[in-house]
Amino acid sequence: MALPKGVAEELRRIVGRESVVDAPNDLRIFERDGSIEGAVPDAVVLASTTKEVSEVIKVAAKHRIPVVPRGAGTGLSGGAVTIRGGIALQVTRMRRILEIDPIAQTALVEPGVVNQELSLVAGQQGLFYAPDPSSQKACTIGGNAAENSGGPHCLYYGVTTNHVLGMEVVLADGSVQWVSGDTPDRVGLDLCGVLVGSEGTLCAITKIKVRLLRVPPSVATLLAAFPSIEAASQAVSAVIAHGIVPAALEMMDKVTVGAVEAHYHAGYPTDAGAVLLVEVDGIAESTRELMAAITDILANNQGYAMREAQTPAERDLLWAGRKGAIGALGRIKPNYYLHDGVVPRSRLPQVLSAVGEIGEHYKLPVANVFHAGDGNLHPNILFDLRDRQVLHQVEGAGEEMLRAVVELGGALSGEHGIGLEKSAFMPWIYSEDDLHAMHRVKDVLDADGILNPGKIFPDPSRKPIQLAGRTGLAVEAKWW
Amino acid sequence: MVVSNRLGKAPTVEKPASAEELARRLHDAASSRLAVVPVGGGRASGMGDVLQRCDVLLHTTRLDRVIEHVASDMVVSVEAGITLEALQGQLAKAGQFLPLDPFNSPGHTIGGLLATGWTGPLRLRYGSPRDFLIGVRVALPDGSLATGGGRVVKNVSGYDMMKLHYGALGSLGVIVAASFKVFPKPLHDVTVSSRGGWADAERALSTPIAPSALELLSDGRVLARYSGSPDAVNRVVKELGWEQAEEGVWVEHAGRSAERWARIAVPKGRLRDAVADLQEWWASPGAGIAHWSIDLDATSVRATRAKVESLGGSLIMLAAPDDFMRETGAWGAPPSTLEIQRRLKNAFDPDHVLNPGRFVV
Repeated sequence: MALPKGVAEELRRIVGRESVVDAPNDLRIFERDGSIEGAVPDAVVLASTTKEVSEVIKVAAKHRIPVVPRGAGTGLSGGAVTIRGGIALQVTRMRRILEIDPIAQTALVEPGVVNQELSLVAGQQGLFYAPDPSSQKACTIGGNAAENSGGPHCLYYGVTTNHVLGMEVVLADGSVQWVSGDTPDRVGLDLCGVLVGSEGTLCAITKIKVRLLRVPPSVATLLAAFPSIEAASQAVSAVIAHGIVPAALEMMDKVTVGAVEAHYHAGYPTDAGAVLLVEVDGIAESTRELMAAITDILANNQGYAMREAQTPAERDLLWAGRKGAIGALGRIKPNYYLHDGVVPRSRLPQVLSAVGEIGEHYKLPVANVFHAGDGNLHPNILFDLRDRQVLHQVEGAGEEMLRAVVELGGALSGEHGIGLEKSAFMPWIYSEDDLHAMHRVKDVLDADGILNPGKIFPDPSRKPIQLAGRTGLAVEAKWW
Repeated sequence: MVVSNRLGKAPTVEKPASAEELARRLHDAASSRLAVVPVGGGRASGMGDVLQRCDVLLHTTRLDRVIEHVASDMVVSVEAGITLEALQGQLAKAGQFLPLDPFNSPGHTIGGLLATGWTGPLRLRYGSPRDFLIGVRVALPDGSLATGGGRVVKNVSGYDMMKLHYGALGSLGVIVAASFKVFPKPLHDVTVSSRGGWADAERALSTPIAPSALELLSDGRVLARYSGSPDAVNRVVKELGWEQAEEGVWVEHAGRSAERWARIAVPKGRLRDAVADLQEWWASPGAGIAHWSIDLDATSVRATRAKVESLGGSLIMLAAPDDFMRETGAWGAPPSTLEIQRRLKNAFDPDHVLNPGRFVV
């Protein structure tokens, strides 16, 4: 596909000659995000201001050309992939932190600001931005808001939507709107809440006002080994049942621990069936007391080789292992397919045993690294793309794993989004009426369907997914 | 609330026993263009502009089941007509609770609380149901039942329909069921009080661990609630040096309301300015919210609202006699996105049968 005649010139008049990419070789850079499927856009526009975003969308609206807002391209569900061609609207040049208000504890940022950079800058005033996706060194706040991203510390602090106070957005007709702001209980419908997590299908985000939190004066981080995933899952439930919600509660399986230890030498116990990383924060009194209680509970639930970080450097090393786990898996196979599903926490052992079986069936190694406290699993299917036959197997295994998640009462995605990757599976969890209600929102905000088409909603032109379940459970008809 | 329609005829009372029946009743009424007013516990029935019409009162009170409470998942699903107290009783058996303590209690239903967006002091620590509502099921005027979210604590599968219906005052549909992330009872929970007014409120808000609730009353009383690790709570409470509050102080506080009252919400640094000229109020300074027991005429209410709006906030009427409400209006300045909101209203309720005239759209 190519843009209609003259459109590239229109776009160049808006953003400048150098800021429109349409040479075929240059476009290939924008073919993918962090997921499997790619598609080359017809043009990439590098916007620097809200006005430019607005003008570009007006041109797209006039010609009915798809527009896909794009941040760092680290997304894992194909949200930034231009599957129907059109314009990739790159906002990473909009990367100013416009304001940090230490009294109100808020920040106003442009969408291209990198997640970790915001916390580093806010840290100079004793504040931080809580949602911390593992890609936080690269991913942008705009992308986080579009996807409603999570992260390890969302167990206690909540996900992106709990921290976005308001946004400036450009709608499908190119109009610019503020939704919500820094006042609670605003008058009318909560459009901001609906737009966060809408994956670029309802608006492009041009400014975000977020809540910042005080950096806790004391942090304690503990690593504990368990003989099995079941034992570690049981320990997670026991901690929470005791009345403690830690800041983070992360699990890694044996495969992951082996790869991480070989890479980072963080002192992870490689003989363990599973490892838990537990963090609490607060003041010294509370972290000391809570960590003592947690240590007891873990010990009573088969935890061993427990090691608390004694210095910030040790803590960073423990977290480096967790946040860098996916990269370390490259030691096992060169490629991975990182899945995302979420189940009621008590179903973790069941779903992980199903995941293991599915991996064996397809003869694919699977590494699990995930947010155990939330029931949010991330099976990594490891493979070598040089084996041309393997991709089909990988996709089949992934679908079966998701099916198991749904059969156990779970949802398709905890934090990566539906995007392209999972749109075909939406009817697994939502009825036609459910999807129709969501589509009414889409039709109100983007009647012509120019914003990120082909995402979230099942595409009737793509193959329907029909898959026999493996867990032996029927999909629970009563979603309630 | 208006209890008769324009022709002076008393509205029909419907008390469906299931979500499906409720959806049918709603559809039947909508097909005949009858105006439908959803009713829960009636605790917030004064909220909003005076109804233009009311033909059917659609009660949710028979939908009062706990559908599922899996304590180890810390998730509960309920029908909308259950009262907050009944739900808390069920959760308490597992040492859990829903951190929601609205004013004008007891007797709120869950559906009513979600529709109105009413909250209480615990919002400071836990946020509002906007933050812990994880699934919602809504009956729409076309008779369909539409679900959003699910029963897991973290979920980005599709649009966040919970946000669409939370606080929408039943203008898009009638909430028939909801799922929540619930919380463990804190290990330790202490409330202390002082009479030190704003200065003490600010002091308590800046303690090394933040209070889970901090309420300031117009007579200068301050209630500070700390919860969490016993050692930490005890240290902070000792440093504050205030007296222990009486047992039952929060139940008493949650019972507050007035015949004429309003909710003021501003960026939190501006709350003191917003209530400076008012007589009787109670406030959550850490959240930027105050409730005002109105002792002035409608003109003065409008002047107060103008001031609050100039501070970047809103003043919403929670109850008043009809004539008074007509003079003040319930909502104040419309949001800049009003046009989009109207289109959403039309997409879900094209014949405007739900709560006609009552909400912003």
